[in-house]
Amino acid sequence: MDITAPSARTDGTARTTSKGLPSAGALLSGTLLSLTGLVWDIQWHYDVGPDTFFTLPHLLLYAGSAVAGVTSLVVVLAATAAERGGHPVDPVIGGHAVGVFGRTFTAPVGYLVSGVGAALFLIYGLWDQWWHGLYGFDAVLESPPHMGFLLSITLTMAGAVMVSSAARDQRWGAVTAVVGLAVLLGFSTATTSGLSALGGGVVDLPTIGLTFMSVLTVVMGARLFDRRGGAFSVAGVLAALQAFYWWFSPWATRVYADSIDLPMRDYVTGVPVMMPMCLLLAAGVVELLLARARRQDRSAVRYGLIAGGIGGFIVTATAPLQAALFLGAPPGTDSTAVDMTAGAILGLVVTVVGALAAGVAAGFLGVRFGDMLRRLAPAREGR
Amino acid sequence: MRRTALTLLNLIGAIGLISVMAGAPAMAQPYEPVKVVHSEQVQAGPYRLTAGFSTWPLKAMQSLDFTFAPDGGIGGKSGTLTLIAPDGGVQQNNLVRHPRNRKVWGLDIHALPQQGRWTMRFALNGPSGSGTGDVAITVLEQPGPPLGISWAISSLPLLGLVTLIVTGWRRTWPPSAQPQEERP
Repeated sequence: MDITAPSARTDGTARTTSKGLPSAGALLSGTLLSLTGLVWDIQWHYDVGPDTFFTLPHLLLYAGSAVAGVTSLVVVLAATAAERGGHPVDPVIGGHAVGVFGRTFTAPVGYLVSGVGAALFLIYGLWDQWWHGLYGFDAVLESPPHMGFLLSITLTMAGAVMVSSAARDQRWGAVTAVVGLAVLLGFSTATTSGLSALGGGVVDLPTIGLTFMSVLTVVMGARLFDRRGGAFSVAGVLAALQAFYWWFSPWATRVYADSIDLPMRDYVTGVPVMMPMCLLLAAGVVELLLARARRQDRSAVRYGLIAGGIGGFIVTATAPLQAALFLGAPPGTDSTAVDMTAGAILGLVVTVVGALAAGVAAGFLGVRFGDMLRRLAPAREGR
Repeated sequence: MRRTALTLLNLIGAIGLISVMAGAPAMAQPYEPVKVVHSEQVQAGPYRLTAGFSTWPLKAMQSLDFTFAPDGGIGGKSGTLTLIAPDGGVQQNNLVRHPRNRKVWGLDIHALPQQGRWTMRFALNGPSGSGTGDVAITVLEQPGPPLGISWAISSLPLLGLVTLIVTGWRRTWPPSAQPQEERP
């Protein structure tokens, strides 16, 4: 695998153009496998139920981290060999290389992060096996080992975004960065559900968490490319993923259940994991405000704060409407009427206010994280 | 580059194959039938119902199969199960067939999260009218390490993510020090 920087004597542009693509593509494929496995697994628990450590959705989840981990390992070993051979590693391949265990290994920073995430997943996977041995196979998403490996996969996905961002000047780098951000956001629909373990009383902490992640990723998308379309692209890919899972998840669940002679539950939702559908609207606000900042040469942070607040409000305020439209009452329950008690209304108001604050914070951080990702790409000559 | 891509694709295929082969024996195993090692009787109006438990005694967070079998079978009957937690929290669900024993209602691999006295309230409807009945069950302390330690261990990747962000932040601060880039 050639991952070295182009020689000063030769024109390395053509070689550099796509040489990071296979490894970045493999890493992104791993994260997509993880997301698909997770969405399918959640659907399985909703619609069928019985669980073991080796169901097909679980295998997909494990394969995703395995692919991401092996890819990261291969790149790190190739970078180490190149560095030892006296050839500097091209920063387009996963960002600037850093020393690991002193100078024993040389790792492009993006692949280092994704590889550490995959290794942690393995450890948390083993802990999960032990946990299920002790507590059984109750399908509780927000258990400590589940949250541990979901966060590990999130780390891998963050590494995949870093890898693509380092090549954002290439067409493939821009495309994989957008898809990587959308996958990260799609996956966080499950990760943020872990916030329910904190309690929160009438406040809906998972919704606030998902709002934070939604605003953060679209603002990062906008800032990473610093041109029109970044935020819209992330929200658009997320919408495409949601459309795909809307078909795939219930279908795969039914086919798999039939193949192992398990019946569907008496109450089947037929609806996959719900991602924020009004994100395109929030992305539109982000696009408008950050374009204004660019036109007037104003601080992107200030406009990011405003865009984040408005985006956060849109995502959170429309969440109950989305749930009522597509999910209705939770499966197996009798409550079909919208809860209009004083406590429920107070909870909604406090949640929206909390999400507004989370959106503002995410707007600020999104601009800064976008800047940080931009710095991963090697500086172009003559700039 | 083509060789590298092919090598990676082969690698991905091999990993997928190994994963499926590793999982195949486990997937081929049939799901265990529902066992009942302890039962309680509930009188819900005109209906007599047997609540079965696959492990006994119950421990907090430890999952088990629950079966609910009314005398005369579930045909023509419906109802709800309300679980009332020791802290007063209430969760109500329709009574549905157990996925691995379709002749009775049940909860498959379900855990009661809190230690203490739980109440299971059954509200049944059927040819003889409707009726409600309760059964109280005691749930013992959760096994395993304290939950706080488990959550602390599970938060380590988050700590890693925060460390990564802080490091990146410090290296790119102040933002104005960044090189200005051309806009397309």
